[in-house]
Amino acid sequence: MDLSLTEAQELLRNAAADFMKNEAPKTVVRQIDENPSGFSPEMWRKMGDLGWIGMLIPTEYGGGGRNLMDTAVIYEEMGRAALPTPHHSSAVTCALIIMQGGSEAQKRSLLPALATGQKIMALAFTEPEYGWGPEAVKMNATKSDGGFTLNGTKLFIPDAQVADQLLVAARTSSGGSPESGITLFVVEKGASGVSSRALSGFSGEKLNEITFSNVNVDSANVIGSVDGGWSILEPALDRATVLLCAYMTGAGAQVLDISVDYSNTRVAFGTPIGRFQRVQDHLIDIVNGVDASRYTTYEAIWKLDENKPGATESVCVAKAVSSESFYNLCDSAHHVHGGIGIDKDYGLFMYTKKSRSLYHYLGDPVYHKRRLAKLLNL
Amino acid sequence: MDFEFYYTKEQEEFRKEVRGWLEKNVPVGLHEAIDPEAGPYEDFLKGVEFRTKLAEKGWYAATWPKEYGGGGLSSAHKVIIDEELGSFDLPGIVHGDTGNGLFGPAVMVWGTEEQKRSFLPIVTSGKYVTWQCFTEPEAGSDLASMRTTAIRHGDEFILNGNKIFVGQLHDVDYLYTLAITAPDNPRHNNIGAFFVPANLPGITIGHLDLLVGGKRTIFFEDVHLPASQLIGGDTDGWKVTQTSLELEHGGAGSAVDNDRYMEKLLDYSRNTMRNGAPISKDPENQSALVDAYIGYQVNRLFGLRNYWMRSSRTPFTYEGSQYSLNRKIFNPKLAEIMLKVLGPQVLITDHPSAPYAGRLEYHIRNSIRIPHPGGTVEIQKLIMARRLGVSRTREQGAAYI
Repeated sequence: MDLSLTEAQELLRNAAADFMKNEAPKTVVRQIDENPSGFSPEMWRKMGDLGWIGMLIPTEYGGGGRNLMDTAVIYEEMGRAALPTPHHSSAVTCALIIMQGGSEAQKRSLLPALATGQKIMALAFTEPEYGWGPEAVKMNATKSDGGFTLNGTKLFIPDAQVADQLLVAARTSSGGSPESGITLFVVEKGASGVSSRALSGFSGEKLNEITFSNVNVDSANVIGSVDGGWSILEPALDRATVLLCAYMTGAGAQVLDISVDYSNTRVAFGTPIGRFQRVQDHLIDIVNGVDASRYTTYEAIWKLDENKPGATESVCVAKAVSSESFYNLCDSAHHVHGGIGIDKDYGLFMYTKKSRSLYHYLGDPVYHKRRLAKLLNL
Repeated sequence: MDFEFYYTKEQEEFRKEVRGWLEKNVPVGLHEAIDPEAGPYEDFLKGVEFRTKLAEKGWYAATWPKEYGGGGLSSAHKVIIDEELGSFDLPGIVHGDTGNGLFGPAVMVWGTEEQKRSFLPIVTSGKYVTWQCFTEPEAGSDLASMRTTAIRHGDEFILNGNKIFVGQLHDVDYLYTLAITAPDNPRHNNIGAFFVPANLPGITIGHLDLLVGGKRTIFFEDVHLPASQLIGGDTDGWKVTQTSLELEHGGAGSAVDNDRYMEKLLDYSRNTMRNGAPISKDPENQSALVDAYIGYQVNRLFGLRNYWMRSSRTPFTYEGSQYSLNRKIFNPKLAEIMLKVLGPQVLITDHPSAPYAGRLEYHIRNSIRIPHPGGTVEIQKLIMARRLGVSRTREQGAAYI
């Protein structure tokens, strides 16, 4: 047993921490967030130069061939900066789905561009009735000449505003179990019949509504077998989920640091507020949340990387804990801060916003607890 | 990172040896105690006899240096022994007491070489029972406000005072205790730490009628104690105590999970029918059981992390108390979930409908106490705040070896 990072991972972490400090201070992060694209091409290029974009993609497809643990090190640091980036959508989630279910030809044609960051892909899974189980995929894809025709709406899709391609889950047959009948398609965002609109509101990521109106997709762009999409999605999404948890862990760790600093410098009643036990209670809730999130997440990552039994149970635990912890610890941080906590220049809200929008992303605590109940034979 | 223990071929052979030995030597005819802390005297005696045999093999204080009566084995060997021992339902006394758990480590840091050679073999022998006796009627969370005195008269100290909520139901041989040695000194610089033979004249040990456990009260009345029984200097007691408290407050961590209540709760809920369906199929029950499972996993991971930190000599800050706090909050929550999901059956010890032959009833009672001994929930929070660097008092983890 060894719960430390390897020397190489420490180096990676230091490099990532330096990068975030220099390239992604809170003023820059806010600018990116306030930009309608929610994207900085310059930052994306720099991350590509460092080899971070494709780090999870195998070397034979132009990536860095790193495992989840190495990638999680970078994810914690991205979380610390509350960095808005399409990295998770494109080079993690979509790349993992293609790695899991794509043909050799598809891997060769799609993955290198995702690895360099030359192309960005977004997963279009959720719909107006929102959910992450197979039953939530209702949009139809009907067989047509040489391929399929897609009609319907995908909703709350992060990063679609900057994506070149979409990875769409649609229903090709119904009547069987919800798991069967889902098919995955790679669709060019510029394809005829695809329209997309970024939604406004309180979200850490730009969320989009995407409408498909008689969109024709060639059979060559089906990932995996027709009707067999769920068996590709489920393992790929588990892997994507734990990196999201690492991001939430890093973000929570930063919220802790911000709150401890503030408690030591803000003076009230003649003393730094951190001296008050009511304030300390909030700080303790924060650190407990961060550590619960961190160790459940890393255990799940270790199990996935090493093919240990019970990996899926651990993923469910990690996401349920991380979603709840991140949400609650941001609330605690706001209690510590009072008014300044909602001051935009102060920047705490960047984390809070993430804690709200990532709560449901890739499955909320209820979804993962239900999965867990099933896995535990309850 | 790696969350698993791996064993070499030699260690796997060692496991077989331990297993084989245990199967031959584990005491037979132990009573099925409803209350693990209130087992009968004859079981206690069998437990002490057994752990003495275990110590002769070097498996009781397995990782302690051989020159101090330990086994001189690696922590991996210790985990193997704990895992194998854990598969038998043995009296708590077999797994150790505050002698080798808390007192010994303090002696390792603060004792003289001579003390290490004379005291440590006592607590590693398995034969003698040691109790840590800190709490007093007027000094619980505020331990430093203790009133028991130990006044030096040449080569001995004279002890007077009263300790309470300490020890266990049956016999004791040694007391690890604290007393005021310099009444005029400032707080924390006025305390001595002592290793007291329990049979000295002037020591009376009384019983308490408590909701759970066999805790005792101890009176010292002009007890003459040789000064050689003092650990550290006359007024080093507070520092000595920090080493034991760090461990008691969760700093030892936990590599082996011997608490089977979670497993029992899930198992019973899956396999017991109520009103035509398994208990766990009710959606409210299912959700409570999953919450319990998740809370349990977090607690297990905090224990594992602390175990790893200690065995890899990673410096502690708040982590010891965080684990203790988490356990003290989770345990009562688990009891509430048991009551909610399994019903009033968990309150009963002597009816066929009581789960696990009435053994969950102890957990319900115990969960009321759990938040308090070894530092209350509030004390753990206080320590965490100090170590997060926001309190008036700043502190680091205590010294340990």
